[in-house]
Amino acid sequence: MSHTDHSTTPVIQVRDLEKVYTVHEKEPGLRGSLASFVRRRKTLVRAVDRISFEIDAGQMVGFLGPNGAGKTTALKMLAGLLHPTDGFVRVGGHVPKERRTEFLKNITLVMGQKQQLLWDLPALDSFLVNQAIYEIPNDEYQATMREFSEILELEGILKKQVRKLSLGERMKCELAAALLHRPRVLFLDEPTIGLDVNMQVRIREFVAEYNRRFNATVILTSHYMADVTALCKRIIVIDKGHIVFDGDLSALVEEAAPGKTVRLELSENVSDERLSFYGKLTSREGLFADVLVPRNETSRLAARMLAELPVADVTIEDPPIEGVIGTLFAGTNRQAVDAVPAGAEQAAR
Amino acid sequence: MRLKRYIRVLGIFVRASISAQLEYRVNFAVNLFGSLLLAGGTLLGITILYSDGTPLGGWSYRESIVVVGLFTLVQGYIGAFLYPNLNKIGEEVRQGTMDFNLLKPVDAQFLISSRNINVFRLTDALVGAGLVIWAASGLENASSIGALLGLCLIVTALTIVYAVWFMLSMTAFWFVKVGNVTELFNGFFRAGAFPVSALPGWVRLVFTFLIPVAFVTTVPAEAIIGRWNAGSVLGSGVAAVLLLGVSRWFWTYAISKYTSASS
Repeated sequence: MSHTDHSTTPVIQVRDLEKVYTVHEKEPGLRGSLASFVRRRKTLVRAVDRISFEIDAGQMVGFLGPNGAGKTTALKMLAGLLHPTDGFVRVGGHVPKERRTEFLKNITLVMGQKQQLLWDLPALDSFLVNQAIYEIPNDEYQATMREFSEILELEGILKKQVRKLSLGERMKCELAAALLHRPRVLFLDEPTIGLDVNMQVRIREFVAEYNRRFNATVILTSHYMADVTALCKRIIVIDKGHIVFDGDLSALVEEAAPGKTVRLELSENVSDERLSFYGKLTSREGLFADVLVPRNETSRLAARMLAELPVADVTIEDPPIEGVIGTLFAGTNRQAVDAVPAGAEQAAR
Repeated sequence: MRLKRYIRVLGIFVRASISAQLEYRVNFAVNLFGSLLLAGGTLLGITILYSDGTPLGGWSYRESIVVVGLFTLVQGYIGAFLYPNLNKIGEEVRQGTMDFNLLKPVDAQFLISSRNINVFRLTDALVGAGLVIWAASGLENASSIGALLGLCLIVTALTIVYAVWFMLSMTAFWFVKVGNVTELFNGFFRAGAFPVSALPGWVRLVFTFLIPVAFVTTVPAEAIIGRWNAGSVLGSGVAAVLLLGVSRWFWTYAISKYTSASS
């Protein structure tokens, strides 16, 4: 809501960021284990390959990409956990890997698959530890706790042992613990993984609310497309360590899927041929039909259909985002397969 | 100000550790019983060893008890502070929860060295301290200066043990599973139950320079029983500062090579 710093420099600046790992490989089975125990076969993996982008204060950006694309590696370099092999990173003006106190007090990293809460104690005890570590004054702590309890509905779960909480309850507490110090930059790595739909929505709403209240900058990675589409206008698609798309979600949809679906409910039967006249018939079931039409002609063709066909009801939809992203990856994967193996094999030798 | 904050955080860790251990009431009782049993066993062992009153390697019964007391004290220290923290480093690196320590705005080495305290093992340390005091009080050459010097040397000894143990645990950043490495240290450290200066020359050299066990128990014991020499006292201080410095450097290097665990 209220934010005073309208500085012009982006909060996050990344130029030609690169991370190369050395990993060892093992053939399956005991024989492979023995061979690997004696002599490790080293392979270089370029997890993040010279990516560049900037993010302004208050923006929420979604990182999309298949597993192993380099999203988490990129996030961890931004959070200062991993030292980049090469390239330039600034977060709020700081070099993340130096892990200065002012930097660490301004960021947080939430990992849906890992937990920082003390397992054997109620979440409140973990919160107290964080309060001391982040030097949060008592009144601020109380105020934050009140807000969080209200939005996340923490009432009644804070005093239970963490190990006795459900996954959803635990995730809510994890989020609260990670945001207790009111960081301005949030790195959320799969924060809703494994949660049911209701809980996903609740977490999403909380992140949106937090962003509004504190003008926080958010980078979100998620397997659930709904998380990303609900929160982020801007999308960065990473595949094989490269950025393959950076821009508006709507532009992504336009680029990857230049059509819209006109969903018709007919009042009487019409032949497939007649429907195909307007566009590509993508599904047909009795009186229900989906017709894919070029984006820029949507309204004209929809109007004609309404006028010329016995239409009971009509809706116009963007194709589902999952499909769009899937098409995008399918495209880049084909290119990547052509380009990568030569280098990878060399590295393996 | 900075120090005050660290003490505050440490206080919270101690309280959280005690709370966590109190959650399991049976374990609490078993642990306490175990500590008493261990202390009793140690006492019994010494009594049997010296039952005929013959000095071993120039160390009298009471003088040796000072060493055994110090050994028990250091074991309590390891059990209470080092083991519950440093031996988790490997597991945390393996599972990637080390990330959370590195994200906190306090020194991460401090954090991973102090989060968990096994308060029950402190009973070992108390029994050890009691043994030292009891044994030393019956010795003619024991003096208040010697006791003070001994106290300083105990501090350097604990520093040395911490630095060595920390460095061994730190190899987890590369090898991930290092439980066996600290067991190795434990094995060598058992030699600390005996006065190193009572051992043959070459063994003495190994336990002084290669594995600094001598500095952990024998050197402080010599001060307490009034038999110190400037060389060992100075050596102990230098070893502590040096090892702590190297462990700090090693830590900085290890986190620069940290690869985390992918999620």
